[in-house]
Amino acid sequence: MTVAALSRYQARVLRIEIRRSVVLWSVPLLAALFFFDSFRTAAGFLPAWTARSSVITNNMIADFGPFAAGLAAWVASREGRRKTGDLLTTTVRPAWARQASALGATLFWLLLTFLAGVAALYVDTARQATWGGPPVWPVVVGVVEVITFAVIGFTAGALFPGRFTAPLAAIGCFLLATVGYHAATAARSGKGTPALLSPATTVPLGDVGVFYHVAPDVAIAQVMFMGGVTVALLGLLTLAPVFRISFRGLLAGVSRVGRWLCIAGVALLAAGVAASATAFSLAGTARLGISGWEIPALHDAASDQPIPYTPDCAGSSFKVCVHPAFSGFLSDANTALQPVAAEIAGLPGAPVRAEQVPSGDGVLGTQGMNFAGVPKPGLSGTPAVYRYISEDGLAPFWGSPAGADNASWRAGFQQDFLTAFVAGPPLAAGPGPDAAELPPTAAQQAVITVLMIKAGSVAPDFGEDMTNNGQPAAGATPTQIAAAAQRFASLSPAARHAWLAANLPALRAGTTSLAQLP
Amino acid sequence: MSGITRKFGRNVAVDAVTLDAGPGVLGLLGPNGAGKTSLLRMLATILPPSSGQLTLLERDPRNPADRREIRRRLGYLPQHLGYYPSFTVVEFVEYFALLKEVPPHLVPKAVAAAVEKVDLGPKAKAKLRTLSGGMLRRVGIAQAIVNEPELLLFDEPTAGLDPEQRVAFRALIRVLGQAATVVVSTHLVEDVGAACTEVALMSDGKVVFRGTPEELTARGEEGQGVGDAPLERGYSAILAAARTAS
Repeated sequence: MTVAALSRYQARVLRIEIRRSVVLWSVPLLAALFFFDSFRTAAGFLPAWTARSSVITNNMIADFGPFAAGLAAWVASREGRRKTGDLLTTTVRPAWARQASALGATLFWLLLTFLAGVAALYVDTARQATWGGPPVWPVVVGVVEVITFAVIGFTAGALFPGRFTAPLAAIGCFLLATVGYHAATAARSGKGTPALLSPATTVPLGDVGVFYHVAPDVAIAQVMFMGGVTVALLGLLTLAPVFRISFRGLLAGVSRVGRWLCIAGVALLAAGVAASATAFSLAGTARLGISGWEIPALHDAASDQPIPYTPDCAGSSFKVCVHPAFSGFLSDANTALQPVAAEIAGLPGAPVRAEQVPSGDGVLGTQGMNFAGVPKPGLSGTPAVYRYISEDGLAPFWGSPAGADNASWRAGFQQDFLTAFVAGPPLAAGPGPDAAELPPTAAQQAVITVLMIKAGSVAPDFGEDMTNNGQPAAGATPTQIAAAAQRFASLSPAARHAWLAANLPALRAGTTSLAQLP
Repeated sequence: MSGITRKFGRNVAVDAVTLDAGPGVLGLLGPNGAGKTSLLRMLATILPPSSGQLTLLERDPRNPADRREIRRRLGYLPQHLGYYPSFTVVEFVEYFALLKEVPPHLVPKAVAAAVEKVDLGPKAKAKLRTLSGGMLRRVGIAQAIVNEPELLLFDEPTAGLDPEQRVAFRALIRVLGQAATVVVSTHLVEDVGAACTEVALMSDGKVVFRGTPEELTARGEEGQGVGDAPLERGYSAILAAARTAS
């Protein structure tokens, strides 16, 4: 029989299976899960492609995976549950061909639903995003992951065809995904990085994929690992009839199933195990780079170059600039910074521009790692430029409920700007990279407070940090700081400006006391 | 088949059976546990014999290529028909036609013919979950005959059928037996009397009688058997003799 004729048989059986697939009944539930979990979660992220697309692996997989495993197990266990085994054995087509059709139909509906969800997500993002395009790798990883979950469930259903196999497969895959997620979020350079093979991990920073390309290294390893698991399980499924006939009469089993089919099964099993083991070992070498997690053996160093762009700016004497991916925030950022910039205009070292810079490696919780050539947040240069990152400057604004917290976002952004100007970079309270940062001194806090109030904003909140011996970390109580701020605020703008012009170096150095404030 | 034996552990289900059958309807009679279903499953290539020589349609089922060819020309209705409730009658029969590699362009015609033969035309698009037990049995028969098999194996085919359906089924297997070898396993002697051209009676895994229904009836008239009908008396007489001999 020709390959074309065999394909025609397979296609027609597949058509029947697709028409009668049990997955069809689950589509409304999967759609509801997608809307209430993945879609709404994505809507809460910055309208940047990488951040939004992270819900594909972080949320959609968690929603689809257990269902894919459970439904596939239910389909695979059908011959055992419905006791059609004898009848089907007497047909010509081999068991693997029947199983391929049943699995194909299951995957058809699962992937169709999954890709429809991705399309809805990307269409919504496209309507809001102002720069960039849809990333492909999360979709590839997501598709492979759905297939892997389905094949895990299918194998379980085919090998243990009971009515409890499907719920157990779904629960098992849910636990697997949960454990993988926790392990992946705990991964650090040189420690626990094989856990990165779990697709679900932390939400990336909003500007990932904006200033630098996202390295596909981990995605490639994930596809290799899950693809390997899938191929190995398909090999196991091919070999299953051999073991089912008799564990003792292995040779008789091989002869009954067919030598070439057994060779194919062993080859698939070996290839799958090899691919997964290779991916596991590659993930063990992952380290953080400017593009996120990088795997040296897979990494293309050329992709580490910054992506060229022309910033969007507003203002004249003081310019506020954002990356074009964040154009939607320009007006708010400009409105926030212009009044405070006006208060310090003309002072020595006053910034002439505020611009957005990359957050760092893009991995939440480790942001701010130093990479050569990447501008650091803060005030620097001559003339001075204030550099801010989206996570500090823009993301909190986006994360707030629709406009409700706009004023507090603006106050925070202004406070960061003035703190960078008046107090400089924060000093560490102790040794080591994890040490807390010291707050501005009491005098610095008083000056920042006055500048913000004069700019029409609210008084900043510096908190009330205490030293180990119970003294205020700033060197004075909030009441004392407020009294000094009131005194300083009562000066005329010209007098205040003149005092600042004369005393700014000392104030920045932290040597000005509250009593020295006029 | 020659000296066919099938063992399950220490239990001998079929014991050195030698049997041959050509076109016509062979009734496989016997009490529960006589080995009829095991014998039928070996004929259906589901079970390999533990020992002995089995030849089906002039081919050796131990050889994978021969086994495929036998299955292409085989129809089988198991005692308990497993089915997929969400499939329609036509889809279920079409599914089996495709699995039996009926040429794709002939499948629609073959399915329609099989469904019509079992008188399920009006229910062709009904889901299997909506059908009665008797109708499901007829669906099982339809899938068995969809490939116009040369060897047809029916295990308790009339179980669950009402008298009218049973009569129709007997008529159908008489027609099928004109062109194919039909083996009907049953413990209902009236099925044998009405439809079979030959009878094999099994007891404790052995064939203890082989002949025509008329010869079986004649054994009952010798006066050793019990039962209401002559065939039943022949059946019980042979079984009694076999048990005495063992």
